[in-house]
Amino acid sequence: MILSVRDLRVSFRTNDGLVRAIDGVSFDLEESEILGVVGESGSGKTVSLLAVMGLITDPNATIEGSIRYKGRELVGLPARELRRLRGNEIAMIFQDPMTALTPVYTIGWQIAEQIRAHRNISKSKAMERVEELLAEVNFPNPHEAMSRYPHQLSGGMRQRAVIAMALSCNPALLVADEPTTALDVTVQAGILDLVRKLRATHKSAVVFITHDMGVVSELADRVMVMYAGRVVERGSRAELFSDPRHPYTRALLGSIPPLTGEKPRRLPAIPGSPPSLLRLPQGCAFGPRCPVHYEPCGAGKPDLGSGTHAAACFRVAQA
Amino acid sequence: MIDKNRPILETRSLGKRFSIGSRFSAEGKRTVHAVDNVSLTVWRGETVGLVGESGCGKSTLARCLVRLYDISDGELLFEGNDITSKSLSELRPLRRRLQMVFQDPSASLNPRRRVGDLVAEPLRIHGRLSSSEITRRVAELFDLVGLLPDHVMRFPHEFSGGQRQRVGIARAIALNPDLVVLDEPVSALDVSVQAQIVNLLADLQEKLNLTYIFIAHDLSVVRQVSTRIAVMYLGSIVEEGPAEDVFAAPAHPYSQALISAVPVVETTPGGTRKRIILTGDVPSPLNPPTGCRFHPRCPIAAERCRSERPQLREYRPGRKVACHFPTM
Repeated sequence: MILSVRDLRVSFRTNDGLVRAIDGVSFDLEESEILGVVGESGSGKTVSLLAVMGLITDPNATIEGSIRYKGRELVGLPARELRRLRGNEIAMIFQDPMTALTPVYTIGWQIAEQIRAHRNISKSKAMERVEELLAEVNFPNPHEAMSRYPHQLSGGMRQRAVIAMALSCNPALLVADEPTTALDVTVQAGILDLVRKLRATHKSAVVFITHDMGVVSELADRVMVMYAGRVVERGSRAELFSDPRHPYTRALLGSIPPLTGEKPRRLPAIPGSPPSLLRLPQGCAFGPRCPVHYEPCGAGKPDLGSGTHAAACFRVAQA
Repeated sequence: MIDKNRPILETRSLGKRFSIGSRFSAEGKRTVHAVDNVSLTVWRGETVGLVGESGCGKSTLARCLVRLYDISDGELLFEGNDITSKSLSELRPLRRRLQMVFQDPSASLNPRRRVGDLVAEPLRIHGRLSSSEITRRVAELFDLVGLLPDHVMRFPHEFSGGQRQRVGIARAIALNPDLVVLDEPVSALDVSVQAQIVNLLADLQEKLNLTYIFIAHDLSVVRQVSTRIAVMYLGSIVEEGPAEDVFAAPAHPYSQALISAVPVVETTPGGTRKRIILTGDVPSPLNPPTGCRFHPRCPIAAERCRSERPQLREYRPGRKVACHFPTM
């Protein structure tokens, strides 16, 4: 077991009241497994992963629950200890590669710096390693790319450089937050291929956050669907896509226009919009938008329960 | 209803050049052909989807079509009248018939004004309506786009992204336009909200007999809304045809790669599609390749492609391709 998260709760105090960004999230991750986390903005998918990385430093934030990495508790770990893990054993890729790159140094310099922060090796040795890494993430001319500045690269190439940086210390856990959202589909296809290949060669476990069901269905071994700070459904890729149970998962899959076959005259849309975390509806947060809503849904929050394929829904529990 | 006898908008070898740099920079002044030799006919009542990777010139073309940009080469005809070089004052009466919806509704709505006021603005500028008529029309528009009557007094920040885009759409249709150019209208929205807006656009098209030019990078959304598709690469159209045909059997190698790259939800295990992964990046339009502009990335490029640039030719009625070796 690489990562084990239990009953994670993250809330932020704001002028408008308490925002419960994460409200009881639990999940496990095995070695070389890809977990897809799907959700809309405000579903808590990014915040839960920032908590894992120890990157929530807001003094108004409260983090409760347990995050165990290889059996070691991360919640409450001193910053120094966390720094030793981050970038070394746990690496992260963000949506916008420029948040991870500085414009004033070359790509080669930046990746070498990252390696030297965690490994005691000489500059020239580090540079050799950078060239290997860039070759591994399919830079056509790795030696030349080392002396390039980020602005001289295309968006896809920048994201590859960030991936090379993330892989520089052979992380056991790679967290990718919408890494392909800003990229064109043609470039995205290449990056997804790369993630699959790296999982095989480096045996890293990957948490892949996205809002795109298509991406998840191509990449993930297991999937977790989030809504308003809670996990509403989890299961293996096959279970989730061939037998979606939660009304939200079903509706989300149904609202994607098909790429082949007959065009529906109208798309089956979900009414309303995701709730504000400041004013969550009573009971099930999806209740007001749910097509199969009935009395119990307004009274209490449904539990996800145990089992590999589970949905947090009273209707599903009843059936 | 699509009326194939009356083109609403027509471009003839349209081009848009930007000059960049300055005479003092190392490279000197240079010219980018953002849109190059585009001839496109848009029929009344249809939806033309423009697709392509970022930087292919689809947004620039859209802005040329509503004359937000001045046109460098070629001609632009609206209902058969040449409007390529009409002055701003001459364009004014046309503006009400040609409208645009932008990607980011929060960037295109003034945060300090109430949304009712924002929707009324085009009516005040173009219409000759009394203030009570304007109030009535605004209420009618709110109803049409699915907003509540008491939303009129709200500010843009009080709305969700989807509702804000409804306001943007209400503004665009306020003057009963004939043609609406939609530049990535659903890209900034949550997945669960996208379908609502796509449906709203389809309803409005039917009710108001609108013609759309629709730009989006989400190909499945484009297929859903479009009757016809134009695939662009480096400023030019490489393939054009009925949406379902192009998606089912793309003829240009670039369209094939683009469509095959879309990740789709596979419910049947093992049913993965063949994927063509393009190598390299889109070349810089500052220094486009010779011959066919796609040849450095094309899996089937031959000698001829390096030297001779293929023209957009009609291979079958309605299906145009710019390739020496199209798959048809």
